[in-house]
Amino acid sequence: MVTTNRDRLITMSVQGNIVSPSYPGIPAIPHQIDHDGRPRLLPHLGGIVYNVRLGDSVYGWAGDNTEPGVAIKAPEPAANQALNVFACVGNEAVVMSGSAKGARGIVTGKSGRFAEHVIIAFEQEALEQMAIGDKIVVRACGVGMSVNGFPGVKLKSLSPRLFDAMRIEENEGKLTVPVRAVVPAELLGAGAGLTSEGGAICIQSMDRNALAKHGLDQLRLGDIVALADYDSAWGHGYRKGAMGIGVVSSTDSIKAGYGPGVTLLMTAPGGEIDPLVMDRVNLINILGIDWVGA
Amino acid sequence: MVRTNKDQLVEMAVWGEAWPAALRSPYRPNAQGESVVFMGTAGVILNVRVGDPAFGWAADHVEPGVSIRNREDGPEHALHYLACIGNEAIVVSGEAAGAKGVVTGEHAHIMVDFEPEVMEKIAIGDRIQIRAIGMGLELLDYPDILVRKISPQLLEAMRIEEIGNGRIRVPVAAVIPPYLMGSGSELGADYVDQDFMTNDRETLAQLGLDTLRIGDIVAIQDHDHTYNRGYREGAVTIGLINHADSYMTGHGPGVMDILCCATDKIEYYVDTENRPNLAAYLGIGNKTLA
Repeated sequence: MVTTNRDRLITMSVQGNIVSPSYPGIPAIPHQIDHDGRPRLLPHLGGIVYNVRLGDSVYGWAGDNTEPGVAIKAPEPAANQALNVFACVGNEAVVMSGSAKGARGIVTGKSGRFAEHVIIAFEQEALEQMAIGDKIVVRACGVGMSVNGFPGVKLKSLSPRLFDAMRIEENEGKLTVPVRAVVPAELLGAGAGLTSEGGAICIQSMDRNALAKHGLDQLRLGDIVALADYDSAWGHGYRKGAMGIGVVSSTDSIKAGYGPGVTLLMTAPGGEIDPLVMDRVNLINILGIDWVGA
Repeated sequence: MVRTNKDQLVEMAVWGEAWPAALRSPYRPNAQGESVVFMGTAGVILNVRVGDPAFGWAADHVEPGVSIRNREDGPEHALHYLACIGNEAIVVSGEAAGAKGVVTGEHAHIMVDFEPEVMEKIAIGDRIQIRAIGMGLELLDYPDILVRKISPQLLEAMRIEEIGNGRIRVPVAAVIPPYLMGSGSELGADYVDQDFMTNDRETLAQLGLDTLRIGDIVAIQDHDHTYNRGYREGAVTIGLINHADSYMTGHGPGVMDILCCATDKIEYYVDTENRPNLAAYLGIGNKTLA
């Protein structure tokens, strides 16, 4: 039985507003440049996304790093930092204003530098009642959690609810963690060198053959993945033998160095995590979410 | 000599000021989670110059020589996008007015090398102007190879050989594997550098990367930096080490792109006899490499 200090964690409200998409103005060259140099004008980050949901494929959308469901941010940078770091995947979120007031959702991930959003899944009916700017409270619980007997393993953005549901087992002094796939270090991109307490790190998708070779071409939003040879204890970076665990939280990107965003949940710089690749290791199955898209 | 369009390039002045170091919280975590005082970027650094080791300094992201920046956002980005490695810099105010130096790289600031007696006279805030030339430089017979942010003079000094079949050959000091490319991946490739990650010292030593020097020309395997920076099997990026190592996870010496190819048109070899380094190519910085 793998246990944590979950009974010592506090639960605190952090709050954000549903963000608006944002594009640069005049002289009206708003494009992103894709990995082959083509300018593309596509829906990018932010706001309310009605038809890209947890469990959907991360590939094939005419969008760029699309955040499924709702993305929120606090207006003040310091408050947003608290929101982005304290909110944990699996935490409950509650709409506090507007027509969807009272609706409840679940935090499913985060976005990194240049966005710093928290991503939340809601029922379709609630999504359709929401307006940009609506206030959403997250009941943040998870920061400070540690695994008993594994002082070298660090947990980040991980709620006790999700941790307990991930079917993590102890085997010969290591934690075996079910995952959908393992990402090799050379395919980790934007996010390297940046914070691992919030934000995301991208699975690079420019080289489609490399993606297929590592079984990363079938990923879905909400899939749990392992990050091989990456130490994310104090920021994300290469360390042979280290192992991380994260959740796929945004869709693919057209830009070199970018791709599906992964929110870091666990890291073992000393290699005390063994990923176990299997099917259906997605937040939908793990948390028993039967209402997405319903 | 490879044919270029150097006669068609526009030479334009851009400028910045010798920029002060800044500190918010005195402590930041290193890769082991220990609190460390970070010092190294900005200011005038007299004792670390291009050609000196990129490792071993008791400092973070050391920018060699004089670091300059412009106070205004537009001119600041003009400085970033137009200044090229190898361009001439001239001090235009203060006690060192009239002294000449050379641009050695682009990081948080544009880095300029001057002789020590010049640097001793430079005060924070002194204006330094650069005769920017190099943006738009092309290899006329190699359309698949992108040239980025180097002066025509440096390109000609880099000992590039034409080896047929639309390919060139470049001497480098070392080869960096794709899995070590770190911080900077999130930025556009026309802006600053990308660090290679140095927290795993064993891997570094095995690859011979722990003896690199500032100014070294290196190859990055399987990385396409033509548009943003990312993994693509078979691609090659030739870069220049522009700043020293870092304490932070996912950081390390910066690699500034100078030649980029999405395919296999750039061949490279490690030259252990004549170190391919900016100091040697332009006769600046650490003179022991010349």
